[in-house]
Amino acid sequence: MKKKIKLTVNDELHELEVENRRSLLEVIREDLHLLGTKKMCDMGECGSCTVLMDGVAVNSCLVLAVEAEGKKIETIEGVAQGGKLHPIQEEFVAKGGVQCGYCSPGMIMTAKAFLEKNANPSEEEAKTAIAGNFCRCTGYIRIVEAILSAADRMRE
Amino acid sequence: MKAGAPIIHEGIERNIAANPRYNLGDVDKAFKEADHVFEDRLETQRVAHVCPEPHNCVAVWDHDGKLTFYYCSQMPSVTRVQLAKALGMPESKIRVITNHVGGGFGSRATSKFPMDFAAIVLARKAGRPVKIEYARDEEFIFSTFRHKFIMTVKTGIKNDGTITGRHITNICDNGAYCDYGPVVTNVGGAMQGTLYRFMNYRYDGYTVYTNLPYGGAMRGIGNPQVHYAGETQLNMIAERLGMDPLEIRIKNAVRTGDETATGAILKSCGLVECLEEVAKEIGWKEKRAHPVPNRGLGIACGVHFTGVRLSPGIDADFAGATLTINDDGSVNLATSCVDIGSGSSTALTQIAAEVLGIEMEKINTIFGDTETCPMGWGSRASRNTAVGGMAIQKAAEDARKQILEAAGEKLEVHPDDLDIRNSTVFVKAAPSKCLSVSDVVRLNRYRKDGQAIMAKSHWDAPSQLADPVTGRGNFSMAFSYGAKAIEVEVDPGTGQIQILKVAASQDLGKAINPLGAMGQIEGGVHMGLGFGMSEDMVLDDEGRMKNNYLLDYRMLTSLDMPPVSIILVETNDPVGPFGAKGVGEMATIGTADAFVSAVQKATGLFLTDLPVTPEKVLLALKKKEST
Repeated sequence: MKKKIKLTVNDELHELEVENRRSLLEVIREDLHLLGTKKMCDMGECGSCTVLMDGVAVNSCLVLAVEAEGKKIETIEGVAQGGKLHPIQEEFVAKGGVQCGYCSPGMIMTAKAFLEKNANPSEEEAKTAIAGNFCRCTGYIRIVEAILSAADRMRE
Repeated sequence: MKAGAPIIHEGIERNIAANPRYNLGDVDKAFKEADHVFEDRLETQRVAHVCPEPHNCVAVWDHDGKLTFYYCSQMPSVTRVQLAKALGMPESKIRVITNHVGGGFGSRATSKFPMDFAAIVLARKAGRPVKIEYARDEEFIFSTFRHKFIMTVKTGIKNDGTITGRHITNICDNGAYCDYGPVVTNVGGAMQGTLYRFMNYRYDGYTVYTNLPYGGAMRGIGNPQVHYAGETQLNMIAERLGMDPLEIRIKNAVRTGDETATGAILKSCGLVECLEEVAKEIGWKEKRAHPVPNRGLGIACGVHFTGVRLSPGIDADFAGATLTINDDGSVNLATSCVDIGSGSSTALTQIAAEVLGIEMEKINTIFGDTETCPMGWGSRASRNTAVGGMAIQKAAEDARKQILEAAGEKLEVHPDDLDIRNSTVFVKAAPSKCLSVSDVVRLNRYRKDGQAIMAKSHWDAPSQLADPVTGRGNFSMAFSYGAKAIEVEVDPGTGQIQILKVAASQDLGKAINPLGAMGQIEGGVHMGLGFGMSEDMVLDDEGRMKNNYLLDYRMLTSLDMPPVSIILVETNDPVGPFGAKGVGEMATIGTADAFVSAVQKATGLFLTDLPVTPEKVLLALKKKEST
């Protein structure tokens, strides 16, 4: 069964007809061709498909596209503004928080939602924020450093 | 292996697929000369690569019968060779395209995934492109894994700590089919004879077929397992004899200029410095002098090659590069090395920029297309920066020479009197006399008998195949050394192990990109700790993996990671580009060894089989109490 939905993705309104069973992740990648959001496990265990739905970080593989009706979605493609990287992205690069890059979009989206709620986090809080995001190349240390240093910059 | 065991493959006697051996010096004599001889059995488990990007491919046939295969390969040129052979097609009819890869760790250094052929055959049949991707649970099952090893280590040692000789027997549970099994069994043996100065060394490896899932290449290709056995046993020996594990290592460590038991010639070796650095960082001497109950310190060191020539029958270890300078002064650089997340394309671009005197941002580095990139052995064996980098250095030197000659002709000075910086060619004695690289390219190209500035290089690393009988040979261009020191605290009531700190040092020759190198080491420690304490592919009675999901296969999360201090030791190897050696695999070696040794010290228990989990610790502590 198909359903017509309207959703805003990165400030752009989309009207789509989607199968009820399809996930938001599938629709973002396959219908909207926004390939920055990654699929690693497709069952909510890794955080790599994290997007923001009305400002809340969600695993887009666990959200049905029809549930996003009327919602405001932000993906990694919407994070840089006017051709300029977001401080979180810049700090991921500067601190070495990126290696293969596959987990980075999900990490950055998680970090963004987290820092919007907690502008001055402790190291432990930052570690907890990304505990549901899986990375195999780093040891998370440089990612945590990047988040803390982005927080410092964003407060300025 | 046992006599009379059911045969898995017709004609393979005792199910032994391969029997890699080293027989160097005289171990029997070495054991007679020793004051003590110890023999211990240690086991490692199956661990998975868990690449973030699940394996996937797209096969497309065109109307001329040409196959384009999009595939997340660590070595697209080798994938092409393998596909040509398997499909009975000429290489020219196959194009393999690889993009940035979401992690490899060895799992993509092969092209034997069932999906390759399924996609290719289905696409041919359908006349349409076919894509296959693995779901995460399938990825665990199909992407191979680190082989389980069962090892017996026998070591002779004198009262003064000198190791007289070592004999390691290793049974590698190969699984039902051969992927990299024989090489995996070989490498661990080769490297254990390249760490200490003893010249009496025997290694008997058995790659044994079992009716279980089959393993493959994984970060260190057999070396982390054998190092685990060798290094952990050395710490057990130190404990039994009341010696300092750090001092035993420094006493026996190989040094620059040594020729090791295996025939490795060490043109650079920072092993002693690596050991001293981690000891200093963790507070080795002070903490051992003032022990705290339930806390323990562990240390281990290791060595891994930089590119290798151990595959029997293939006497080659090469990379390729092509380089063209465009008339806007930008550079098209094509390399045989795929970036699988190690940051190799950054390091390779840096090398080209440094040689050419052209800014990194002007260099467009491409990889992963067998039609536009040169042939190479690909991204494996810690070889991208050093072997791939040397190919780039040679090509860049050639292009630089061409620029200087063309500019010299125009400026009427000898090329030797010129230099290039920031894309400007200038007379060293009079820098205002200059031309832009862009101008040089144009002037040289748009004239009668003109030339483009372009260069190529195919660089075969200077190493030798080992002697087929003794195993001796200088099998790598360079050897990276490293050490890890770890402090843990064990809760005797629960068996919980808290890692207080990790210190990791590595002799990488020269850090081309220090941030990238430290990232590799941090990731190596993370993977090594998982190997030591939590990761385990659990099989059911019929050999099927039971925990093939990310929440069931336990890797350390951000909350589990301890602080890691990283120390880069630069020994400037005379062979590699700007002195560089390999990083990625050595980064993980020694971590599990130091971790388990720390737990042994904290508990007073010789736990030897990986992973050393809180459950195992608790059971062993209870058993100790009740006896």
